[in-house]
Amino acid sequence: MTGQVTGALRLAGTARVGDLVLEVDLTVDPGETVALLGPNGAGKTSLLRVLTGLLPLSGGRLDLAGDLVDQPGSGTFVEPHRRSVGWVPQDRLLFPHLTVRQNIGFSPRATAERVTALLDALGIAGLADRRPSACSGGQAQRVALARAVAAEPAVLLLDEPSTALDIDSQHLIDGLLADGGARATVLVTHDPVEAATVADRLVILEDGRVTHSGSPTDVRTRPRTRYAASLAGLNTLTAVADGYTAMTVGGALVVLGEPATGPVHLVVPPSAVALHRTIPDGSPRNVWRATVAELQPALDRIRVVLDGPLPLVAEVTPGAVEVLELEPGSRVWAAVKATEITVHPA
Amino acid sequence: MRPPRPVLAVATVAVVFLTLPVIGLAQRTPWSSLGDLLGRQSVVQPLVLSLTVSVAAALVIVVLGTPLAWTLARVDIPGRRIIRALVLLPMVLPPVVGGTALLFALGRRGLVGQWLDRWFGLTLPFTTAGAVVAAVFVALPFYVIAVEGALESGSDELEQMAGTLGAGPLQVLRRITLPRLLPAMGAGVALAWARALGEFGATITFAGNLPGRTQTLPLATFLALESDPEEAIALSLVMLTVSLAVLIPMRDRWLPGRRPSR
Repeated sequence: MTGQVTGALRLAGTARVGDLVLEVDLTVDPGETVALLGPNGAGKTSLLRVLTGLLPLSGGRLDLAGDLVDQPGSGTFVEPHRRSVGWVPQDRLLFPHLTVRQNIGFSPRATAERVTALLDALGIAGLADRRPSACSGGQAQRVALARAVAAEPAVLLLDEPSTALDIDSQHLIDGLLADGGARATVLVTHDPVEAATVADRLVILEDGRVTHSGSPTDVRTRPRTRYAASLAGLNTLTAVADGYTAMTVGGALVVLGEPATGPVHLVVPPSAVALHRTIPDGSPRNVWRATVAELQPALDRIRVVLDGPLPLVAEVTPGAVEVLELEPGSRVWAAVKATEITVHPA
Repeated sequence: MRPPRPVLAVATVAVVFLTLPVIGLAQRTPWSSLGDLLGRQSVVQPLVLSLTVSVAAALVIVVLGTPLAWTLARVDIPGRRIIRALVLLPMVLPPVVGGTALLFALGRRGLVGQWLDRWFGLTLPFTTAGAVVAAVFVALPFYVIAVEGALESGSDELEQMAGTLGAGPLQVLRRITLPRLLPAMGAGVALAWARALGEFGATITFAGNLPGRTQTLPLATFLALESDPEEAIALSLVMLTVSLAVLIPMRDRWLPGRRPSR
């Protein structure tokens, strides 16, 4: 039964928290980053607690790093301190009576060299002998992350890590996350942009169940639930920038409003994607040929899913759909002003 | 908000009531011969004994009381409410009754005392160790109540966090729970030590009144009141001074009330 288990994390089980019943099937591969999205009360934090062992399963099984750690049916339960899981809770839970260095080095698995390296990498070496109460929110978040990573966990769990972060902290944390090696990461977030830029895969959790699991593009272009549709609001494209232009992975050339270099994520609001039957002239400098794949009503608007060199979603009024005679298969021109595109370093 | 006058008036009466005895004591103190009185063996000896007994009792109380408080707060043992009531019983029991009960339990012919005597040659009544036992008996609940309260109100999220970082239950206790419990333990020790220092009834009943062995300051004071009132006053002043010297520095940090903001 154990031989078939693959992945850093394999969960197929149920757990109860008050009225909420979690019933989750989730696999995360070594080196993979999964963003866990869902409305408030969907059970995201509870799911993380199941993985840490703070919330035992009531049924099913959980394997971490190839070892069975929780299976009520066979009476198997591995205590949290014997699991290789790093947890960064939303309220961070730094130890107030210990210094920053002692916090980061708290785990018996953390070595002094690793603690020093993390202090340097996250730019908090100057705070090493301070107490957490002397840290700003961003600094405290870096300490909490360093403390979890210092133990070299096989699975890293981050609960809303970017809430109220300054830009410096955000970059340092993104850098550390990108450098995870074989570590699997589960990131709980409310922010679809963060999810799409940091994660390899999005998992949508609603009312204790996974309603969608797929690539950011998949979730954006084919949202299966109302919630997924609402958060799929933004187009996120992966590209390599060189000055005022960028080449997307799909091979489309994008003109940027600000210069950038190297791998980037381009974020395009669907409302900024204009559709035309004939090639437009005037200010938009980004114009691509596209085919309408799907029309989805979204409140008072229609979301138009496009196929083409760029997998974009446009949001237009029902009137525009009528005027442009849009239907699946229609050939259109999609135009985006360079200034409507935001560039995030990847 | 302006404080209501009747409240202030009653509060004033209470303060006067509490300080009046101290003033009475000061007013009757023979200040000129005080130096001589304080140097007497009959004052120094009970003072040294009282400090020894109360400090020893405080140490025993920390060792016994901390695991007890933790267990009462955290472990879902059957009959926990009954056990807690039993633990707190000495707080409401008249100390003389406590001393009598100790005598029947740990006295030479007592329930357990006879075996202590027979197997280990250990006799508690009329020894300094007996005075410590009496002090522990009456003062332990004060410590347990202070520490248990802090454990219950304290969130254990930090302990869970420590667990996910690989710290086992004992490590969590040593590195997270106990350090964070120190203020409450300090408050509990202060209360329990003060109670032990003032202990009279259980001590005289169980440990007797042997000068240099079990005659602590309260016992010496009570006896001196009949034979030598001036010496009784000197002894009382000594106790007052010792208590204030210990409690005033602790007040800001450990006693309940105005806490420094964290």
